[in-house]
Amino acid sequence: MFRKVLIANRGEIAVRLIRGLRDLNVASVAVYSDADRSSLAVRMADEAAHLGPAPSSESYLRIDKIIDAAKRHGAEAIHPGYGFLSENAEFADAVTSAGLVFIGPPASAIHKMGIKTAAREIAIAAGAPVVPGTEAPIRSIDQAKETARALGYPVLLKAAAGGGGKGMRRVDRDEELDAAIRDASSEASRAFRNGDVYLEKLVVEPRHVEIQVLGDHHGHMIHLGERECSLQRRHQKVIEECPSPLMGLDPSLRERMGAAAVKVARAAGYANAGTVEFLVDRNRDFYFIEMNTRLQVEHPVTELVTGLDLVAWQLRIASGEHLTIQQEDVRWSGSAVECRIYAEDPANNFLPYPGKITELVEPSGPGIRLDSGVYQGWNVPYEYDPLLAKLVAWGQDRDVAVARLKRALLEYKIGGIRCNVSFFVDILNDPTFLTGHFSTAFLDGFYARKKAPPEAPELEAVAALVAAISKQKPAAAVAAPAKSKWRWS
Amino acid sequence: MKYDVSVNGREGQLSVEEARFEYRGVARDYSIAASGPGIYSVLMDGRSYQATLLSPETIQVEGRIYFVDVFDPRELRARSLAGSHEGRQNIAAQMPGKVVRVLVAKGDAVEKGQGLIVVEAMKMQNEMKSPKAGVVAEVKASDGATVAAGEILVVIE
Repeated sequence: MFRKVLIANRGEIAVRLIRGLRDLNVASVAVYSDADRSSLAVRMADEAAHLGPAPSSESYLRIDKIIDAAKRHGAEAIHPGYGFLSENAEFADAVTSAGLVFIGPPASAIHKMGIKTAAREIAIAAGAPVVPGTEAPIRSIDQAKETARALGYPVLLKAAAGGGGKGMRRVDRDEELDAAIRDASSEASRAFRNGDVYLEKLVVEPRHVEIQVLGDHHGHMIHLGERECSLQRRHQKVIEECPSPLMGLDPSLRERMGAAAVKVARAAGYANAGTVEFLVDRNRDFYFIEMNTRLQVEHPVTELVTGLDLVAWQLRIASGEHLTIQQEDVRWSGSAVECRIYAEDPANNFLPYPGKITELVEPSGPGIRLDSGVYQGWNVPYEYDPLLAKLVAWGQDRDVAVARLKRALLEYKIGGIRCNVSFFVDILNDPTFLTGHFSTAFLDGFYARKKAPPEAPELEAVAALVAAISKQKPAAAVAAPAKSKWRWS
Repeated sequence: MKYDVSVNGREGQLSVEEARFEYRGVARDYSIAASGPGIYSVLMDGRSYQATLLSPETIQVEGRIYFVDVFDPRELRARSLAGSHEGRQNIAAQMPGKVVRVLVAKGDAVEKGQGLIVVEAMKMQNEMKSPKAGVVAEVKASDGATVAAGEILVVIE
C-alpha cells in the first residue's frame, strides 16, 4: 500500500478521499486554488499544496503543477476524483511518466472510452447491445438524412467528445435535421473543442441505469450491480438509488446488465473502478451508452448496499493488490437513495447561489450517510460546480430508505446560501416517485406539472411570528457564530 | 404590537402580544425560545415547531421555506410601486457571481427583453434582460466584477 497519496480535486470528493486514505492509514495531500485555501479538504488533509488562482484552468486543471506538488510532497500516487482531470488520458499518462501511480484505469482505456464513437465500437465488438445508430461522425447532410430515415424518427444528435447533454438535440423530422446538426456541432465545438456529432435512435421514455465494475491489474473483473440514475434535471443526475426499482420487475436484469458491463470493460483493457452506463427502454431492453472511467459521484449508493468500500478497493488495486472478491461473493442488501445537495435556488429557476454558509445543521441518525465538503462559516466559491454534499439513506427496503432520507432532509438546515433541499422533499413526496416507475423525463417541468402544495396556515403563521420577533429583538436573532452566546454540548 | 408582513409575496397582518398572537385567522397561545444560533423553538397551543432563520428574511419551518418581509405601512407603499414596470427600473443580480459581459452602455436605447448584462456563477450564465423599452441611465457593474444577489447592476429609464 502507498504511504502518501495526492488528491487532485476539491470539495466533497476530496474529503471523501481523505477519509478513505485515513481508513487505510495512508497520508493525504490536498491541493487548493486561491478560492479554496480555507476549504474543509485542506483543513482535514495531512498536507496541502497551493496550485494557483481560482479559475480551474489555472489550478485544478494544471497537470504540471499537480505533478510538481506530488513530487514536492513525496506522494507516490495521485487520485483524480471525478470531473477536472479524472478522465483525461494525457494526465494519466503524465502521472505515470513522472514515476507516480495514477489511481484509476490505464491511460489507454481512458482514451478509448473517452471518444464515444470508439467506445460504441468496443461495445459492439464485445457483444453488448448499443442504441441503433451510426458509428461515425456525420460528414454530410444527405448522409445524415439517409441514416435518420433508416433509424426512424425521432433520432438524437450527440457530440462525439461530449457529455452532460452538451451538443445533444432531439430531431423529429427531415426538415429539422440541417439546423439541428449546425446547432449541436457548434455547441460541441464550444464545449469540447471538437464539433463532431453523430446520430442515434432516440429511446423514448428511457431509464438511465448504470453498472459499477471493479477490476484489478491481474485480469480479474466483477460488477457490483446497478445504480438507477433516471432522476435528472438538465441532464444532470440529482437522485440515484440502488437497487433500481426495475429489478423488482425483472430480477435477471442485474445479472444480464452486469455481464454486459464486464464484457465492455474487459474489451477496453479496463482496470480499477469504472461505470458502464445504459439506457433501458419500456420493454426493459438495455443499450450501452458510455463508460465513465473514474469513481462516480454517486458511488456511496453502491457502497451502502454492497458493504464494499470502493475507494479502499481503488487504492488496493492501484497499489498492485489482487481483487480478492469473486462475483458470487457480492451481496446486495436493502436499498440506498442519494440526493445531491446543490447550492442552487429551486424558487428561482435553480440558479446557482454560492456565498457564505451562515447556518449549518447536518442530519444524522439511523441509516444516514452524509458526504459533505462544507462547514458553517465557509464561503462557497462561485468558480466551481454547486455540489455541496451528498445525503444518502439506507434502509432494509426502498420505503424505509426514502422515509429516512425525508427525515434527514427535514433536519438539514443550510443558511446564508440557497440550496435544493426543499426540492428533494417535494420529489420524495411525489406519488410517481414513490411507485419507482419513472423515466429520465420525470423531472422536466416537475413544478409546472405540480399543483401548488397544500397551504399550511400554521407553518406560515410560525414563519411570520418568528420573522417579526427576530426583527424586533435582533440580539436574539440570527446569531453569527462568533457572537453567539450559545454553546453546543 | 401589529405588523404588516408579506409571506411568500402574500400580504397580511400579524398581531403579537405577550403570549398570544394572530395571523390570517390563526389565533394561538404561544411561547418562543431561541434554542441555537438562528434556531427558534415555537410552542403553539402545546404543539412544537422548529423554525430556522436561513437569512433574516428566509425562514424554514418543517421543510418549508418562507420568505418573510416585516415592514411598516410606508415601506409597503414603496414596495407595491416597485412591482410595476413603470418609471425607473433597477436591474438587480439574481444570483451571486461574477459579471462576464456588459452588453449595454450608458445612454443606449434598449428594447423590452433585450440582454443587458451577463452574470456567471458555478459554470452557469444568467443574462439579465430589460423589463421595458427605454434608455440605459446607469451601468453600475463592470466586466469581471464580483456581485451579490440583489445588487443593482443596471438602471433603465
